Amino acid sequence: MADKVSPVEALPPASRAYGELEQPSDEPRWGMVVDQERCIGCWSCCVICKSENDVPLGMWWNRIDTIGDALDTPREVNGELEMHWLPLACQHCENPACTKVCPVAATYPREDGVVMQDPQRCIGCRFCMVACPYGVRTFNWGEPDRPTGFDTGMVPPRPVGTMEKCTFCVHRLAEGQVPSCVWSCPAQARIFGDLNDPDSRVSRLIRERSGEMLLEERGTEPRVYYLPPRRKRGLDT
Amino acid sequence: MSTVVTPAAAPAEGRERRALRLWIGLLALGIAVGLGAWVYQLANGLAATNMRNPMMWGLYITMFMYFVGLSAGGLIVASAGRLFGAKQLKPVVRIAVLEATVAVMIAALLLLPDIGRPDRAWHLLRYPQLMSPLIWDLTIVTVYFLISATYVWVYTRSDLAARGSRLALGTGTSLADARRDERLKGVLAAVGLPAAILLHSITAWIFGLQIARGFWYSAIMAPLFIASALVSGTALMIVLALIVRRTGKVGFKDDLVSYLGGMLAVFIAVEAFLVFSEMLTAAYPGAGFEADPARRLLTGPYAGFFWFEVVAGLVVPFVLLVVKRLRADPRWVAAASVLAVAGILIHRVNIVLNGLSYATVPFPPGVPIGTAPPEGATAFALSYFYSPALIEYLVAGGVICFGALVFTLAALWLPLREGGAARLPDAGS
Repeated sequence: MADKVSPVEALPPASRAYGELEQPSDEPRWGMVVDQERCIGCWSCCVICKSENDVPLGMWWNRIDTIGDALDTPREVNGELEMHWLPLACQHCENPACTKVCPVAATYPREDGVVMQDPQRCIGCRFCMVACPYGVRTFNWGEPDRPTGFDTGMVPPRPVGTMEKCTFCVHRLAEGQVPSCVWSCPAQARIFGDLNDPDSRVSRLIRERSGEMLLEERGTEPRVYYLPPRRKRGLDT
Repeated sequence: MSTVVTPAAAPAEGRERRALRLWIGLLALGIAVGLGAWVYQLANGLAATNMRNPMMWGLYITMFMYFVGLSAGGLIVASAGRLFGAKQLKPVVRIAVLEATVAVMIAALLLLPDIGRPDRAWHLLRYPQLMSPLIWDLTIVTVYFLISATYVWVYTRSDLAARGSRLALGTGTSLADARRDERLKGVLAAVGLPAAILLHSITAWIFGLQIARGFWYSAIMAPLFIASALVSGTALMIVLALIVRRTGKVGFKDDLVSYLGGMLAVFIAVEAFLVFSEMLTAAYPGAGFEADPARRLLTGPYAGFFWFEVVAGLVVPFVLLVVKRLRADPRWVAAASVLAVAGILIHRVNIVLNGLSYATVPFPPGVPIGTAPPEGATAFALSYFYSPALIEYLVAGGVICFGALVFTLAALWLPLREGGAARLPDAGS
């Protein structure tokens, strides 16, 4: 990988400045806020995630679920139509169910809270996938299939028979940049930062807009918070 | 009526020999096909199976869990006979512990084709993560295998020594040797029973500790696994003992079959009670985390499986075994045992399918499949209807054929008859 130029390095200065991380505290714990008020369900974050991380065909580290029964279809609530999305990737839980069950510690929480996956150690038992309540892990069932053979990212390869998942773009964090999905969102629905800093944007938003954890009752304590939509984008039925 | 079949009562030597040769040939074929299928799977990855992200465990894990359960029969008969003085079980103890050893070996082998990187299986020894129930389970499976194998040796040792076999490991047939056997049997019974309980409990905890899966996350899982292991283990042992009796390798009276049938009836009753308790608790709230999976079993897409488990696997065998007149006939006991073995298999299938095949965040499009979808098919799934691919049947079948071959050869070579070949016909009393 040494011969490759980091995609972050290759960015024009303005783009680079746009993706810069807020100054974190001494012991950052990275977290994300997803504003469901702002999300327009465009899948931009999912697509850039695929190219950033070389995610093979048939897999998504990041996806946009539609709240309701059908994809991109409004549902009726109290006589009104409404449509909201649930952008879904690894929740980087404070108390992850997946790391506990891994028999070889191939998935583990980093100091800064990012839940990592070591493709060189993974034995492919898929226990982490069974344990994850969010369905965001994905397995290399066959030889990873990339139609264009592109290899744009800075991420290590994941061989056949191993697990992979969202890493909060750790390779970008190391360069002081927010994850790709945050940078690419055209509606600025994703905000990234240090949860240990009470004055960071993420901390303030979670406080002020009552950020919610997904499946909070399972006790996994996700570090991705959802800001519920405030008003209905009402269409009369 | 009671029959004791002795080797002398098997006149059709030649025909039996041919049948045996055919049987071993078929098993060898099954193993060869299974190995070939596994090579194909290794070359193509687990994409060769029908497992995918929305249904990540399949036939292999189901059969793993099933064979762990089937291994229960051996140690129950051996330990219960010893600890609780059920002396009449003696004639089947050797075959029971042999069955346990083979079953747990099959279970362990089934994990190998299930993992995506069998070449990295050694990581389990190099980087064990002690919080993982899988590590606990591998430990107890190994321990249990060793205990069962030791059991087989201790029970056959004196006869092996009498034969002058090297398998006796240099021990003799003196009174001191016999006394040491008795001591060892006592120790094994004391260690074996807790090990058996742990084996089934820990296998249950692989599933029962998962907060992601409503139908699994329940304290009843361990007791339920112990009960279902008792049912399937005892039932399989009855069937195997009856088959081996026909070859004259063991001898016992029909009373023993009805005694074991009575035990099986009790185990089935306990299993039925636990299943009922589990389903009632899950279904009562009407909807949600627990009730949705329960409804899928009661009236939903898996109702066929569930009601087969209940009717053919619990109700019918229980009735067959509880009616004294039927229980006295080994044929009815055998029929009930076959049904119970099949019922528990479906019980295992229900646990895996129902626990895994529905997305835990139930919004469309659901979980990415994980492989490039075929033309026109969706790349995501909210629910995934899994049935094993041919390759999975062949690989699992190969492993089972290997176990059956080990069992057959061991039954041919090891002295399974209690009391040695010298004094045959009173073995059953």
